[in-house]
Amino acid sequence: MASSLGRFVARWYSVPLVLAIWEILARTGAISRRLMPSLVEIANAAWAALASGDLQFHASISLGRALTGYALAIVFGILLGVAMARSRLFDALFEPIFSFGYPVPKIALYPIFIFAFGFGSLSKVMMIFLECLYPITVNAFYGMRAVDRVHVWAARNMGATQRQIFWRVLLPGAAPSIFAGLRVALPISLIVVIITEMIGESRGLGYYISYVSASFEYATAFAGVAAVAVIGFTLDRVLVWLRNRLIFWERGAAFIGTN
Amino acid sequence: MSAAAFYSRARRTALGLALPLAALVAWEISARLGDVPSYLIAPSVILASTWDMATTGELWQHTSNSLVRALGGYAIGAAAGITMGLLAGIARPVERFYDPIVSLTYPVPKIVVLPILIAWLGSGDASKIAVVTAAVFYPTFINSLYGAKGVNRIYVWSARNMGARPIAVFLKVILPASLPQVLTGLRVGLALAFIVTVAAEMQNSRNGLGFLVMTAEDSMRFDLMYAAIIAAGVIGFAGDRLLVTLRRRALAGQAIGKEGAHG
Amino acid sequence: MTDGGTPDAVAAARQRPGQALLEVRELVKTFRRGTRTVEAIDRFSLTVNDGEFVAIVGPSGCGKSTFLHILGGFEPYDSGTMLLNGAAIKGPGPDRGMLFQEFALYPWRSVIGNVGWALEVQGKPRAERIAAAERYLKLVGLSAFRDAYPAELSGGMKQRVALARVLAFEPRILLMDEPFGALDAQTRELMQEELNTIWQETRNTVLFVTHDIDEAIYLADRVIVFTARPGRIKDEVNIALERPRRADVRKSAGYIAYRNRVWDSLRAEVLKAREEFQ
Repeated sequence: MASSLGRFVARWYSVPLVLAIWEILARTGAISRRLMPSLVEIANAAWAALASGDLQFHASISLGRALTGYALAIVFGILLGVAMARSRLFDALFEPIFSFGYPVPKIALYPIFIFAFGFGSLSKVMMIFLECLYPITVNAFYGMRAVDRVHVWAARNMGATQRQIFWRVLLPGAAPSIFAGLRVALPISLIVVIITEMIGESRGLGYYISYVSASFEYATAFAGVAAVAVIGFTLDRVLVWLRNRLIFWERGAAFIGTN
Repeated sequence: MSAAAFYSRARRTALGLALPLAALVAWEISARLGDVPSYLIAPSVILASTWDMATTGELWQHTSNSLVRALGGYAIGAAAGITMGLLAGIARPVERFYDPIVSLTYPVPKIVVLPILIAWLGSGDASKIAVVTAAVFYPTFINSLYGAKGVNRIYVWSARNMGARPIAVFLKVILPASLPQVLTGLRVGLALAFIVTVAAEMQNSRNGLGFLVMTAEDSMRFDLMYAAIIAAGVIGFAGDRLLVTLRRRALAGQAIGKEGAHG
Repeated sequence: MTDGGTPDAVAAARQRPGQALLEVRELVKTFRRGTRTVEAIDRFSLTVNDGEFVAIVGPSGCGKSTFLHILGGFEPYDSGTMLLNGAAIKGPGPDRGMLFQEFALYPWRSVIGNVGWALEVQGKPRAERIAAAERYLKLVGLSAFRDAYPAELSGGMKQRVALARVLAFEPRILLMDEPFGALDAQTRELMQEELNTIWQETRNTVLFVTHDIDEAIYLADRVIVFTARPGRIKDEVNIALERPRRADVRKSAGYIAYRNRVWDSLRAEVLKAREEFQ
């Protein structure tokens, strides 16, 4: 008992440590009190924002957009990645788009999206879709490619049809890689929704944070940041949990970022 | 190259260009026919005006603004990320310190602190560089950490067996062994640096490519807008190619598989 | 460390046949995993004489590799003494050169860079390093590959480079941890013959761990049989076959007799080790 508590502390100690340092810096006014509010002030601001319903309102809007774009990217990304892995034609057609397009800051295309899809949610969802498509497609592609030949041969040896091989051998074999792509794309969906909301909108957490910052309400701004952090972290943990349920035969790295 | 190999190569390249070319041609035609919304000006016009702006220098000023911020933040963020990541990879206490913090903040878009950074540092270069630094830290840190951690202990044992002191082990074994992964982190970080810079400039800036895109869009100067987008794409692409070449040079002879090419 | 001599001269200068070089007494090693404790080595004692080639065979998981790792200074041990030339062993060092099963060649250095690595790290001047490296590379027959990289070499070649590397810094004793375990059976036999030939010249003191009885008998002066976990000496067989060992010694009656003796001893331990998992 004592040792598992001890291990918990040892694992997480730096978080309260950093928060404590923050609090000390804030209280002693080392940085301007207004610009670096104390944790108590932030907590109060968060409480107020929750009470007024503002935080939930904007959070749910951002979340809705992010998840919609994300879901679209999952569907099309996996389909495309699988198609590229199975068909040389598809691969030849689409591979340059992915390898050339990857390092390009696609966010710069956002104004075009605004023209095409308007100022509201659709342009954001489309942008999220585009950005999330990349890692999911690429990972689905590599995952399918990487399935051990021996597994396919064994299936054929045991009389499986092409269809059975696809659903029972290839997809499960590609699953870890696909999930890695999903895990990379999830923070991207949040990043893109926040950025697009900051650029020009009247709703969503991105807008909320930049608006209250512009009104000098920094404690509330930090509360908004914290809200984003909570959402991002929770979503990630949900995904990890899902992965461990679905891909029970392979354990990934437990913690920091990557799969 | 044999004839057969040449033809299959050529065919593959042709297919690769097929979709983008088809899209461009369709775009050009419909733009000429005048059947499109105003923002979809013809690709030929875009190319011409972009070329103009590139040669007259109108584009350069903003491009260099963006480059300064992106590369400045990249340099600082990567230096910090690599140093801390390698350290955490070889010293458990350091890793244990960073692990929860990085894991908790990893899924948070670093751009989210931009408004606050602007309040702290003003809306000039400093705030952008700061946000880029924060963003670039993560992939470089995580990749360096895993690079150093993943060094086969047999290499370390053999080094100590041959009489190497800890410093020599670090410099001559850990560092070269983690290099492939560190370079992967650098590649991801560079792409991120450009993305975050442009995004930050789109949000709040007085110059730079992101700013240019937004202002051009506002004043309906679409030629300028596309020029800025193209410029952003070019520097992102060029930067990536540079790092890929660097990586190939640095890892020559090791026959390391091409890292999951898309980062 | 001598500099500039041929392997023969070095060997001759070092020969004090019969004198105990390595003395291990009552070595104990226990692994603790969470709440479980596993006794890996239980009061193991061994003496290796200068110039001797001693092989250790044992069932899988019996602790023989752990023993080498402890000797190498990479794993801590719980109690007992280990003396090399009368001095206590503390931590890793170039006096006990180690040959690993996985070769451990640095992929970012060329062959010659790998072979001279120890001397580099010990601060020897460049000319000397290169000369020594080339000398030992010649000994293992890979001079032509001096500028190649490990990735370009086959398994057998990599192990020969690793051998050159460990010989290059002239350790007092050579510890070999199943060095041919990662090679295919045919390459393995050829490597055994090569090692034998090289050893005839250099006459290093060698402690060689393997699970392959034939390998042990062919190469060694003395074969030690390890028990199943916890590891102890079960049996010790002096191999009085004629030196230098010829490739066809494996067909001789004497060899076959030794083999039967060792296998009978080992078989019971292998069965015991298997039972543990039942």
